[in-house]
Amino acid sequence: MSSRATPALDLITRVRGVRGAMLVSADDGLIVAEQLMEGIKGGAVAALAASLAGRLRRAMEAAGTGTSVFWHLQAEQGALLVVPDGNSSVAGGGGILVVAVAEPDVNVGLVRLELLRVAETVI
Amino acid sequence: MADDIRALSAQLAQDPQSLVFLRLGEALRRKGQLEAALRVAINGLERHPHLADAHDLYARILTDRREYERAFDEWDMAVRIAPNHTGALKGLAFLYFKVGDLAQAESHLEAARKVEPDDPSIDQAIAMMRAGGSPPAPAPPPEPVAPPAPALDEARVFAGLEGANEGLLLIDGAGRVLGGALRDRSGADVTDAVAAYLAGVSQEAARTAKLLGLGAWNGLSAEGQQGNVHLAHPTAEALLLIVRERGMPLGRLAILAHRATAMARRWLERGT
Amino acid sequence: MSPQTRAVENWTLQPLTEFVREASVRLVLVLTPSGQVLAQSGFSRAVDVMSAAALAAAIVASTGELARQLQQPPFAALSHQGPKHGFFLATFVSDRGTLAVLAVYDLDVSSLGLVQLFYEQLAADLKAASPRTTVPKQVLAADFERELTDSLNTLFGR
Repeated sequence: MSSRATPALDLITRVRGVRGAMLVSADDGLIVAEQLMEGIKGGAVAALAASLAGRLRRAMEAAGTGTSVFWHLQAEQGALLVVPDGNSSVAGGGGILVVAVAEPDVNVGLVRLELLRVAETVI
Repeated sequence: MADDIRALSAQLAQDPQSLVFLRLGEALRRKGQLEAALRVAINGLERHPHLADAHDLYARILTDRREYERAFDEWDMAVRIAPNHTGALKGLAFLYFKVGDLAQAESHLEAARKVEPDDPSIDQAIAMMRAGGSPPAPAPPPEPVAPPAPALDEARVFAGLEGANEGLLLIDGAGRVLGGALRDRSGADVTDAVAAYLAGVSQEAARTAKLLGLGAWNGLSAEGQQGNVHLAHPTAEALLLIVRERGMPLGRLAILAHRATAMARRWLERGT
Repeated sequence: MSPQTRAVENWTLQPLTEFVREASVRLVLVLTPSGQVLAQSGFSRAVDVMSAAALAAAIVASTGELARQLQQPPFAALSHQGPKHGFFLATFVSDRGTLAVLAVYDLDVSSLGLVQLFYEQLAADLKAASPRTTVPKQVLAADFERELTDSLNTLFGR
């Protein structure tokens, strides 16, 4: 996967406002591949994104909206955007999360498109 | 017309991703088949959430169904995506005209005329307004929301907002329900189950934003396979969850969330 | 302080409490490579603490020897994942000497990534809080048994 991951992550990081992109193991919260700007703590991003993805998945299942296709955490000084692949919809399914860390005013629609594209082509 | 609809339906079935849904939806709307038109428009929006024409079609159908507030939101979204979209500008002008705001109506028509100076319908509408054409009688006040069943009394906090009795949930920091209610697709009340998970989601969102140096979190939106959600916190202690069908794009959901958050904040502040 | 988090050496208590909360781990031991337990969280039986400490110390010793034979520095951490639980074992050097942390977590609640993330903070906090090692006194068998009993009583709040 690593030979495919780098050009795929390029597509995400070239969107203006994106400070880093990663592939994360949803079960372990560990980095599979990364491309991060200075100052982004990749291990922390991976662990916390995976943890939040798991909690959100359970809440959405309870709400009857099905598993998550894309989610976006908005904060005052940045944003976290994540696309889970099909396997990560199930606990212990061994799936991958495609993650982007971005500025708060990033073009969300564009990042979402690139994340979905990576999820379809690389994973 | 029926042959057109059949042909367009066949084309769409063959290629669900194509834009033929726009023509099909419009054809169904003109024929008065609003339910079918609505389904086509919503499916099309799911596939093309950033297409201004899709929002314009949806808005026209909603207007025919007299769902003016939602139609306004859709046209508003369309002009955010495409500021020169004449269909949306004319639609907004129509809605402003209906509520008697002639200045806004004319302003939107002028904007449309700049884009399409040769459209005779725009000239006619502007001329009518300048001649003092009286706006339609003010729309009757919306019917009050029916009192909810005793088990869902707290829904009054969102009275007047679309979907007040379903798809809106306000909880405190301890996971206790303060207002609203949630039902899943089968109609079962899932309020308590979801409230139990939300506190954990909120804490994790706050921790994630803090530890990653993103500052304070102010929203979490998610697209699900069968519905979209938005989580916000109107106050430091309270959480607000909005759940809508898949066809409502996240951008529009965010606008709705903004309104619901403001209503929740006012309600909470009145109660303290 | 969680009622289930207890320490023989008090300086470990606060860092351990925070680690348990942030990483959502189920069981934790802070111990020396010889198996002496400084603090524990989540254990309800003394025999479990003694078994876990002995096994963890043995793993540290054997992997340390493996690294030595490979002419590598000692392994910083190792992890194992079962169907429902994972365990994580890591060592670090402090003024108190080399210490080991054994953490067990539910896969539904936490993850290796989270445990690793907050372990780094735990190690830093323990290093900052640890007292300088005192000159070890000669241990007599009777003293050893009394100290072990005292430790176990402290760890279980008796």
